[in-house]
Amino acid sequence: MSVIKKIQGFFDSRFDTDTVAHFVDKQAHKRLPPHTGWFHVFGSLSLLLFISQTITGILLLIYYRPTPDEAHKSIQYITGEVQFGWLYRQIHAWGATLMIVGVLLHMIRTFFSGAYKKPRELTWVTGVVLFVVTITFGFTGYLLPWNQIAFWATTVGTESANKVPVIGSWLQYFLRGGEAVTGETLSRFFVVHVIILPWILTGMIGIHLVLMRVNNLATFEAVGEEEPLEPKHGIPFFPVHVAKEGAVAILLLAVLVTLSVVSPWEIGEPADALSTPAHIKPEWYFLPSYQLLKYFEGPYGAIIGIIICSLPFLLLLLWPFLDRGKERRPRKRPIAVAFGLFALLAAVFLGVLGHYSETNITLFGKAYHIDLLGKPHLIVPADSTDTPNTEALSH
Amino acid sequence: MSKPNSPTRRGFLDFLIAACSAITTAALAIPGVLYLWPAAKGGGSQKVEVEGAKSMAIGQSKTVQVGSLAVIVVKQRSGFCAFSAVCTHLGCLVKWDTGKKQFLCPCHAAAFDEKGKVVSGPPPAPLVEVSVKEVGDKIFVSTA
Repeated sequence: MSVIKKIQGFFDSRFDTDTVAHFVDKQAHKRLPPHTGWFHVFGSLSLLLFISQTITGILLLIYYRPTPDEAHKSIQYITGEVQFGWLYRQIHAWGATLMIVGVLLHMIRTFFSGAYKKPRELTWVTGVVLFVVTITFGFTGYLLPWNQIAFWATTVGTESANKVPVIGSWLQYFLRGGEAVTGETLSRFFVVHVIILPWILTGMIGIHLVLMRVNNLATFEAVGEEEPLEPKHGIPFFPVHVAKEGAVAILLLAVLVTLSVVSPWEIGEPADALSTPAHIKPEWYFLPSYQLLKYFEGPYGAIIGIIICSLPFLLLLLWPFLDRGKERRPRKRPIAVAFGLFALLAAVFLGVLGHYSETNITLFGKAYHIDLLGKPHLIVPADSTDTPNTEALSH
Repeated sequence: MSKPNSPTRRGFLDFLIAACSAITTAALAIPGVLYLWPAAKGGGSQKVEVEGAKSMAIGQSKTVQVGSLAVIVVKQRSGFCAFSAVCTHLGCLVKWDTGKKQFLCPCHAAAFDEKGKVVSGPPPAPLVEVSVKEVGDKIFVSTA
């Protein structure tokens, strides 16, 4: 009797292993809709990145010290002294960015294919919560290296919380653990980043996957007209779709390692609470909100800005309950598709403006200064005219 | 035969269990929330000496930490003046530009004049003035 048979016998005599085996077999060979293809791998890609973040995060935790005196030094130690420490740090940093890309692509695919509609509204809602948790992961993890950019981006970010009506100052005080960003803030962000968020994300992913499995992937049939899949018509989850996911996983690993080697994240200067570096900007996924907030000034400007920046998330959360149309095919939902495209373009446009604001760029041989609000000003060489050296394009 | 709305023994026990559960949850949650609330440190007014202030040239500035607040001290012809260095827009620290005689914020291009008033940019309020005192040959800044 082989060892495997003996182990199997051990479990068979104690548990109803047939039921478990039947469940696993049913899930593995579950039929997916015939149109399931490469666009359906973004969800598992995000999951894979979360697993990668968890593994690399645990490895980094072995050497990381979450105190103002030691945080930056420990990152330097991980990068410079620990064998392959640089690689795990880079994979973790790039993984964070790619995970947000993965979740965004997954949401875009779900939105445009109308897969959020009945009976999958709650799958979408849990997905939006996962998106928000993923962004919060980015925000809390950004501070942990305790460098200048991280310190001041967190100062600006938590200062924005102060603008929330009524509870703003309490919220800011609570988030920072005091009046300013200090070691208390680092401790709080560290606990949220390595304990609270991972468990929330794990739980939400579990709920999301169960809901996805229960309702299966959406077809393009209208709401109420979806027929159960015939065994011969669908695509088997294993091995067909799993093979696609495997190919993407290998590609992802290659991309992560390549980015880590070719474009490493800098450690930066240690945080200095008495000196703000010039032109602090948030990570790319916060740039649209960062830029949008600039257009709201005056006594009520900040409040209006916060409300407007919160609206997209609220809209995303409620979207399946607002869009009650039965059609799923993009061509039959022109308003929803146009709205989605407009929102995407607006986010990209604001993000680009935010990225280039308060910098000088050269376009078609001419130099421009892009001001705070994103307005370009032609830079006229000082010796060519007596007038001031910048001129608004609108003049 | 009991009236339809009269409390039953089972209903009363259900209510009792629910009430006890709520009280126990609150008893556990309230200390938890209070634990998370940041403990006040220092508090009240704080006074700090500005090291090397006497050797500062006119127009020169220095940023010092007073409790959790960054304070910028500038030596002007009329004497020393001090403001909270925290920009009232989004909390970055302003720097003194001797040539322009302005406090400039490096984050969103805000400018404040030598009295802390907003000259340009998005800040909604002037810089907060901080008290400066000259005691013998030492300069102290203090926050309320």
